[in-house]
Amino acid sequence: MAGSKRDKKDKEDKKSKKAKYEPEVIEEDEADDASDAKELPASATREVAEAAPEDEFGAQDYRKTLELKGDHTSRPLWVAPNGHIFLESFSPVYRHAHDFLIAISEPVCRPINIHEYKLTAYSLYAAVSVGLQTNDIIEYLRRLSKTSLPSGIVDFIKLCTLSYGKVKLVLKHNRYFVESQYPDVLQKLLKDPYIQQARKRELDEGAGNDTLIAGELSNKSALQLNKPSNTAADQQAGTSAAAESADNGEVKEDVPDDIFELYDKIDKEDDDDEEAQLKTVSFEVNQDSIEVLQKRCIELEHPLLAEYDFRNDTVNPDVNLDLKPSTVLRPYQEKSLRKMFGNGRARSGVIVLPCGAGKTLVGVTAACTVRKRCICLATSGVAVEQWRSQFKMWSTVDDSLICRFTSDAKDKPMGCAICISTYSMLAHSTKRSWEAERMMEWLQNQEWGLMVLDEVQTIPAKMFRRVLTTVNAHCKLGLTATLVREDDKIADLNFLIGPKLYEANWMELQNLGYIARVQCAEVWCPMTPEFYSEYLVMKSQRKLLLSTMNPNKFRACQFLIRYHERRNDKVIVFSDNVFALKHYAVKLNKPYLYGPTSQGERLQILQNFQHNPKVNTIFVSKVADTSFDLPEANVLIQISAHGGSRRQEAQRLGRILRAKKGSAAEEYNAYFYSLVSQDTNEMAFSLKRQRFLVNQGYSYKVITKLDGMEKEDLYYRSREEQMTLLHKVLAASDEDAEEERLMGEMPGKFLSNRRVGNMQSLSGADDAIYMEYSKNKKRTDHVHPLFKKFKKM
Amino acid sequence: MAAISYRKLVCKDLHSYLRSLPPSVLDKLYHHPATCLAVYRDLPELARHYVMRILFVEQAVAQAVVKQWSITSSEEQLEAAVALMELRVWYEQPLPGGMPGWLLNPIFRKNLSTSLLGGGSPWIGNKNLTPDKYAKDIPFLDKYALERWECVLHFMVGSNEGSDGVNKDITDILLHSKLMRVDDGEPSITAEGFQFLLMDTSSQVWFFLLQYLDTVQTRGMDLVECLSFLFQLSFSTLGKDYSAEDMNENQLRFLQHLREFGLVYQRKRKSHRYYPTRLAINIVSGVSKATAATAKLDTHRPGFIMVETNYRIYAYTDSPLQVALLALFCEMLYRFPNLAVANLTRASVRAAMSRGITAEQILHFLVSHAHPEMMKNTPILPATISDQIKLWELERDRIRFTDGVMYNQFLSQADFELLRNYAKDIDVLVWEMPEKRVIIVTKTGHDDVKKFWKRQRAS
Repeated sequence: MAGSKRDKKDKEDKKSKKAKYEPEVIEEDEADDASDAKELPASATREVAEAAPEDEFGAQDYRKTLELKGDHTSRPLWVAPNGHIFLESFSPVYRHAHDFLIAISEPVCRPINIHEYKLTAYSLYAAVSVGLQTNDIIEYLRRLSKTSLPSGIVDFIKLCTLSYGKVKLVLKHNRYFVESQYPDVLQKLLKDPYIQQARKRELDEGAGNDTLIAGELSNKSALQLNKPSNTAADQQAGTSAAAESADNGEVKEDVPDDIFELYDKIDKEDDDDEEAQLKTVSFEVNQDSIEVLQKRCIELEHPLLAEYDFRNDTVNPDVNLDLKPSTVLRPYQEKSLRKMFGNGRARSGVIVLPCGAGKTLVGVTAACTVRKRCICLATSGVAVEQWRSQFKMWSTVDDSLICRFTSDAKDKPMGCAICISTYSMLAHSTKRSWEAERMMEWLQNQEWGLMVLDEVQTIPAKMFRRVLTTVNAHCKLGLTATLVREDDKIADLNFLIGPKLYEANWMELQNLGYIARVQCAEVWCPMTPEFYSEYLVMKSQRKLLLSTMNPNKFRACQFLIRYHERRNDKVIVFSDNVFALKHYAVKLNKPYLYGPTSQGERLQILQNFQHNPKVNTIFVSKVADTSFDLPEANVLIQISAHGGSRRQEAQRLGRILRAKKGSAAEEYNAYFYSLVSQDTNEMAFSLKRQRFLVNQGYSYKVITKLDGMEKEDLYYRSREEQMTLLHKVLAASDEDAEEERLMGEMPGKFLSNRRVGNMQSLSGADDAIYMEYSKNKKRTDHVHPLFKKFKKM
Repeated sequence: MAAISYRKLVCKDLHSYLRSLPPSVLDKLYHHPATCLAVYRDLPELARHYVMRILFVEQAVAQAVVKQWSITSSEEQLEAAVALMELRVWYEQPLPGGMPGWLLNPIFRKNLSTSLLGGGSPWIGNKNLTPDKYAKDIPFLDKYALERWECVLHFMVGSNEGSDGVNKDITDILLHSKLMRVDDGEPSITAEGFQFLLMDTSSQVWFFLLQYLDTVQTRGMDLVECLSFLFQLSFSTLGKDYSAEDMNENQLRFLQHLREFGLVYQRKRKSHRYYPTRLAINIVSGVSKATAATAKLDTHRPGFIMVETNYRIYAYTDSPLQVALLALFCEMLYRFPNLAVANLTRASVRAAMSRGITAEQILHFLVSHAHPEMMKNTPILPATISDQIKLWELERDRIRFTDGVMYNQFLSQADFELLRNYAKDIDVLVWEMPEKRVIIVTKTGHDDVKKFWKRQRAS
C-alpha cells in the first residue's frame, strides 16, 4: 500500500524532527543586550510540524491519518496534526470546549460558526502555569475531538508540558525558594552543579543533606472582590450553577457523558472556592544567584514560574488601598483576575482584553489585591493622567499616595505607594535633569510589589528589558488589547513577563453589551485622473501622500463628518501623515493634535471634544492610537494609516469601543470608516490591516459609493480646485510626505529631531508587509488541478 | 486576453426546447398522451384555461370570443396565445365568416383527452408484473441515481474516484455539448463545463439530456420515440417497477442510455424490469417549475457549506466531487475525514472568473448548499462575502478595450500635430502622447488617416 508507506515515512520524519528538538541550543536574541538576564528556553521556538500528504488541490490531507469517531456529530472539534484546532460554536458543549481551548491554545480566528485555535509551545506553557495537567489536557482533547487524536499532537503536548510549570520561584518572607509539588523534579535539579551552588543551606544542616523543606499550599484564591453583597453574589453563582446543570441535563442526551465527567473535574480544579492543601517541597536559594539559577533552569527545560506570596511578605509594608464599595467588576474581568490570583499568590502574566473593555480597572483591582507598592507604566503622558484618575475613581487611594513621573509632572515621591510613569521615562538612557535623576534612584531602590504594564504589546523588547532591570518588582501584570505584532516578538513577552493568563472574545463581549457594536466599513475612493497619473510616476513616499490627499477621499471624509455631525455623533479622524492631517483640519476648520502639540493643549482639545457641544470632530495623528480614553467618540474615520499594521487598526477601533449608553435599539452604535484610495497601495495595506479584526469576527462592509454625496456642497468639486490641491501636494517637501515619526513624548525633543526615535521600527511594524507577501506569493502559484487541464482556446 | 470571451451556458427550459423542434416532429410527439399531458402542464395558466375550454369544441373558435374569457391584461393574453401557437397546440384558422379563429391541434386534442379521461393503448411498461424478488425501495433508488450521476461529474472534473463507470456514450455527449474537449487524445473540461458543474442537479440532468437528444438522430434513433418515452417516465411512480418486455430495439437502447445516466435502475442489462429514479421523474417538472422545486434531489442531502465573515469556508463533506467543486474557486487548506477547510481569496476567485465562472454562479452554489446553521441567518451568506465576490467580478470589468492603429516615429512635431489634428477633426482619435509623438486612431478611421497622410507627403 502506498498509503502505509507514506505514513511510515512521515513517522520517520517526525522522529528526526523530534531528535532536533532535544539539543540544548538556546536562542540568543539580541546579543547586544549585555544585561540580558532571561532567555528563551529551546522549546519556546518549537512548533508542531508534521508533514501531511497534500491532496490534489494543495490542501493538507488528513483523511488517512485521522479516524472519525462513531459519535462524531456530538463532539465539537477537529484537531489537525499541525496544531490547528477547529471548534463548532453551535455545539451543545461549546462553552466547555471554549473555556478549555482558551486555556491551552491561542485563538486564531473567532467568527460566527467555526472558531480556529492553535496549539503552541507558549499556550501550553500558559496552560500548565495556571495548573492544568498534561494528562488531563490530552485526555480532554481526545474526548472533545471528532476524530482520533493525531499522535504528533499528543507527543507535542507531552513535550511542552511535562517539564513546564513544575517548579516555581517563590518569594516568601523576603527569602527566595524554589518550590515544587514534585520532589523528583527538585532532586533532578539539585544534581546540577550550578543549582547546587545557588542553594542556600542552613548552617546546622550537614553538607550534602538533601532534605527538602516540606510545605503546604493553600488553594484558596487570594482575590477578594467587592461584590454588591456576598450573599447576592453567592446566590447568583448558585443560580448560574443551577442553570448550568439544568443546561447540562438538557443536552446530555446527545452528548457523550465522558465529555462532562472530565470537564467537571477540570472545572473543579479551576474553581477557587474549594480549599485544598497540596503538599509541596522546596529549597531556599541565595538571592544573589537568582539570575544564574533562572538561566540554568531554562537550560534544563524547567523554566521557573515566578510567583509572589504577597500575603506572607512582611518586609514590604502594606498599602492602605481598597476598591471602593461601589466598584463592581464585570464577569470577564473577574475571571481574568482569578487566573492571576488563583492559588493564593500572584502570578505574573498578560491579560488580553479588547480596548474599552476596562483594562484599567483590572489593573487597579490587581493593585488593590496585592496591597503593596505598585508601579504602573503607560505609553504616554495623557495615559498617565488617565491611570491616575482611574485609580481615584475605582479605589480608596489617597491623592498623596499617587506619584506621577513624566516629563511634565513630577510629584514628590516621598511616602507614596503608587507610581505612574511612562516607558520612555524609565528607559531613557541619555542624561536626565537632576530631579529626574533623584527620582530614578528612588525607583531603583524600592522593592515593588506589583508592576502593571499597560499596552504591553507596543514596547520593543530592548526598552522593555531595560525597564525590567531598573525596577525590581515581585509580580508583573501585562495588559493589552492586541497580542499581535508584525514581527512576532510577542514570544519575548511570554518569557519577559509571563504567560498569557486570559484572553477575551471580542464578539462575545460585544453581544453582551460590554463593548460597543461597531459597523466597520471600507470606503473606496477612486483616484482622480490627475492624481493617479502623478501617483504612477512618483516615489513611494510621495505615493502615500498622493493617495491620502486624493480629492475624492477628502470629499468622502467631509461628507461623512457632516453626516455624522448631523446625527450628533462625536467624530475622530485619524491621519498618520501630518501634512494631510493639517491640511484636512485647516480646510475643514476643525481642531487637530499631533506629536508636537503640547500636553496642555492636548488636554484642552480633548476636554473640549468631550464637553463642548460645538466641537464634534477632532483630527488626530497616531499619538492618539493608544490610551486616549474618549468615551464620547462613536465615529472614527481613518484617512491614512501606517502600512499594514494590524495592531494599529485594532487599537484605533478601540478608541470607539467603549460601550455606548442608551442606544440598544440600533443595530450598531459606533462606526469605523477606513477611507481607501482605489488602485493604490492603500488597498493592499487595508486588506492586511483588517485581518486581526476580521479574525475576531468583525466584518468590513465595502462601500463604493456614498449615497447622497452628490447633493452635498463639498470642497474640491471642480477640476480647478483639484488641480490647485495637486500643485500644493507636489510642492510639499519630502518630510511632509513622510508619516509622523515620533511619539512626541520624549522630553524636550520636539521638531528639531523628529526622525531620531523611530517609533514604528522600534515597535517592529516597519517591515510587516514584506514578510507576509512572500507567503502569499507561494499560494497564488497553486493551480487547481482542473485548471491545469484547462487551456485557453 | 480580451479576445477570449466565454459563452454563458444557457439551459433551455422545456418550452423553449419544444419550440425549437420542427412542426412535423411536434405533431408526431402529440401522438402520445403522456407528451400531451406534459406539454399541457408546462403551459402558462391562462393557456391551460384556453385549452380546457375548447378541448371538446371540434371547430375553430373566434379569437374575439377567446379574448373575452378572461379579464387579464392583453399582454398576458397574447403571451398565452403565442405559447400555444409556438407549440402547435392550436393554430390560426379563419372562421367561415372570415373572422380569425383558433383551432386546437386535432392530434393534441385527441391524445390530451385520452390522457385525461383514460382509454387508448396502455403506456409503455404499464403491464402487470410479478412481484420483484429484488425489489428496491426509494432510498436505494435515490442513492443509486446520485451515484451514477456523480460518476459523470467525476469524470468531468477528472477526479480518479468512481469515474470508471463512464462509457463512450457519455463521453460523446460531453464532447458534443462542448462541456469537454479533446486535448491530446484525452477529454478535458471546458469553460462551459465549469459552469455546468455549478448548476444544481436537476438542471444538469435536463441540460445533459437535451444535448443527448441532439445526438439521438445520428445514432439512428427516433427523436419522437425517445421524447415520448421520456415524458412517460416522468409520469411514472417512484419506487414502482415497470416492464421492459414490450419495448422495441430502439427503445431498449435508449433505456440502456438512461441507465447509464442514472435515470432508471435496471438490475441487469437483460433484466425485464426497470425502476425510474427521481432524476427521471423530476426531469420535466424540475426545470420548468419554480426554482424552489429544483433542489428536490439535493434536499435529501442537507447543505454542507459554511461561509464565515473572515472568508473561510468549511464544508462538511467527504465527497471528493464536492471538494473538487469548491476548489474551483477556493484555496483548499485542510481535509479532515468529514470536513474540508478552504479560504476564499481574491486570487482564487479571480482564477475561477478567468475560467468563465461568474460571481452569480459561485454565490448560487454557496447558497444552495448552505449548511443548516447558515440557513438560520438572513441573508444566508454574510453580506460582506457576497459583496466582495461581486466586487471582485466588477473589478475585472474596469478596463474597456478599443481596437486601434498606432502611428509613431513622426519626424517632426509639425507632422505629428498635423495628423493628430486631422484625426481629431474627423473624430477618430483614441489617444495621443505628444511627448513621444504617438497617436492611436480607431480602426475605422485608419483608412482615412492613412490616405490623408499619403496625400500630405505627396504634396
